[in-house]
Amino acid sequence: MTARRVLLHAALIAAAALTVLPFLWMLLGSVKPDSEIRADPAAWLPHTPTLDNYRQWFGALRIGTYFGNSVLVALVTVLGNLLFCSMVGYALAKLRFPGRRLLFGLVMVTLMVPGVVTFVPLFVVVARLGLVDTYAGLILPFLTSPTGVFLMRQYLRSIPDELLEAARIDGAGEFRIFARVVLPLCGPPLATLGILQFLASWNNFLWPLVVAQSQDRYTLPVALSLYSTGEQATDYGLLLAGSVMVITPIVALFIALQRWFVQGVATAGLK
Amino acid sequence: MPRTRKTLSILVAAALTVTACGRSGTAGTPATATTVGTGPATGTVTLWAQGAEAEKLPAILAEFEAANPDVTVTVTPVPWDAAHSKYQTAIAGGTTPDIGQLGTTWMSEFTAAGALAAVPADLGAGPFHPGAVASTRFDGGTYAVPWYVDTPVLYYRTDLAARAGFRQPPATWDDFKNLAKAMQTRAGAEYGVALAPRDFQGFLPFAWSNGATLTTPDARTWTLDSPAMIEAARYYQSFFTEGIADRTPSTDPGAYQAAFTDGSVPMFIGGPFEVAALADLGGPGFAAKYATATLPRARSATSFVGGSHLVVFEKSANAAAAWRLIRFLSLPQTQVAWYKATGDLPSAQAAWDDPALAGDPKLAVFGRQLQDVDSPPSTAEWTRLQDAGNAQMERLTVSGEDPARAMATLQATAAGIGTGAR
Repeated sequence: MTARRVLLHAALIAAAALTVLPFLWMLLGSVKPDSEIRADPAAWLPHTPTLDNYRQWFGALRIGTYFGNSVLVALVTVLGNLLFCSMVGYALAKLRFPGRRLLFGLVMVTLMVPGVVTFVPLFVVVARLGLVDTYAGLILPFLTSPTGVFLMRQYLRSIPDELLEAARIDGAGEFRIFARVVLPLCGPPLATLGILQFLASWNNFLWPLVVAQSQDRYTLPVALSLYSTGEQATDYGLLLAGSVMVITPIVALFIALQRWFVQGVATAGLK
Repeated sequence: MPRTRKTLSILVAAALTVTACGRSGTAGTPATATTVGTGPATGTVTLWAQGAEAEKLPAILAEFEAANPDVTVTVTPVPWDAAHSKYQTAIAGGTTPDIGQLGTTWMSEFTAAGALAAVPADLGAGPFHPGAVASTRFDGGTYAVPWYVDTPVLYYRTDLAARAGFRQPPATWDDFKNLAKAMQTRAGAEYGVALAPRDFQGFLPFAWSNGATLTTPDARTWTLDSPAMIEAARYYQSFFTEGIADRTPSTDPGAYQAAFTDGSVPMFIGGPFEVAALADLGGPGFAAKYATATLPRARSATSFVGGSHLVVFEKSANAAAAWRLIRFLSLPQTQVAWYKATGDLPSAQAAWDDPALAGDPKLAVFGRQLQDVDSPPSTAEWTRLQDAGNAQMERLTVSGEDPARAMATLQATAAGIGTGAR
């Protein structure tokens, strides 16, 4: 029994190390000068540690602007998804109305269409609406998502109808039932949805690249690509330091919501 | 992610084709060009430029803005690795800027989509290096002004070449191969030269130098299995079969630069930006240990020409001011200042007489190489053919396929793709 445990732990530690090592390399590389990053054979520890890469980001490259843009876009996107996906999910799971199955089918169809197919038409629509280079243009198309609707609907189906009927008998209106009875039960899937949407928005590259047409609207990933990757050369120091700053909020968020996240994925899988 | 981007480009290209068909008369017929005139520029001009160029532009533009007090130029930097997608979608959505920086190989795609305005007849810029001008032309019209050029030349370690018994740069193909061999046998190099084993574009200078052409003169038929092409392929292949070039070089970025500075692979073919990269990597004093040279000669010594053009988009609301700005950027003295700021090689021929360029022997080589350059057709068909070309290069260099067979296979694939000439 103990031998199995030791083996298991050894395997887990090895897997964890494999996952963590690239991040450690990134972190250590971000405080190395460029010549050390490219050195062959490479060394783990920086020989002459430097904060130059970070200094560049915070100085001339104004990372604050891009960071602010990314945070704003991600937060509004997450809030929109939490609200709209749960509302739509609730309607599709619990309300009886004609065309319900058809609507759900349509949601499933959009879930199966890859994003690149709708990318250009979506951009043309945003452009015709005059939303190019605005925060609205960056956020609006992602305020709700078929994945989110599906996730919420599947979870909400597990809530007993009796509960909702009891509330209805007590005289609660549909909106009141949704806000006071349904939403408080939805902690785990909402946390999952929030993290997934935050990640998607935070890492989104192509959409902000195309929609933001002045530097002041660029988000972090666009700025990262802009400053670190040239036509023929890559500035690895800047790239690694920038990546550290892009990843830090995600890691912090995941650690903060980890318990909810794991629970949410597990239960969503069961239903 | 790269796959996503590739799929996206294909989709956008399809979307562009559709929109181009919907608009009548924009593609094909040279549009009536606006005139530039000579007065000062006014209004706002938006300019998209890639990475380092956008970073350095504001300093150069200060002079233009001082001379034209009523103009405001807004520069938006675009990341290099996603610039193509950004321009494509902007064209599809009709949200293009006034001026864009387009890679020479993108030209025909964007001109065919009817997105670019014709260069006004009275612009009065140039003369430019003829190799750079070729890709600005489309169906009898001119749609771009060359901004900077880029051409690969030979980089070789003079100290190791001297040890191998060579005091002069290799002039001919035989010299080149002998020097590469001698680098291995007498100068302690692991490989004589770094050549790309699966890069069709890297092979093109050898094909052109041997007198081969990619297409017939009317650009309607590929000629990839001509005797000159096969002979060039055999020469290129011999470097790999004789162990002079590595069949499986490290793909780590900058690995060939590191191998060049430590002397293990003391020759490669590269563009002007390598000078700055090698100075960074090799440290002080390294510049004295190597030199650049024009490519070795077979029938000719032809290299590849690339770079960037400046274009005004068809939808520009302030085209007159935009063209004036482009005229300013193409002046020889602006281009010399630009070279000093960025290292970008001037497209204007007159700029090369400036001591900043003519006085630097490593750079003067690029000026000489630019007298003999060529570029592949800038068509969507070429982009597709390149993938097939890369695959055949790999068969040639890594698997040791017979050159005649490899080129015949490529020709068959190419015939199926077509040249896109109309």
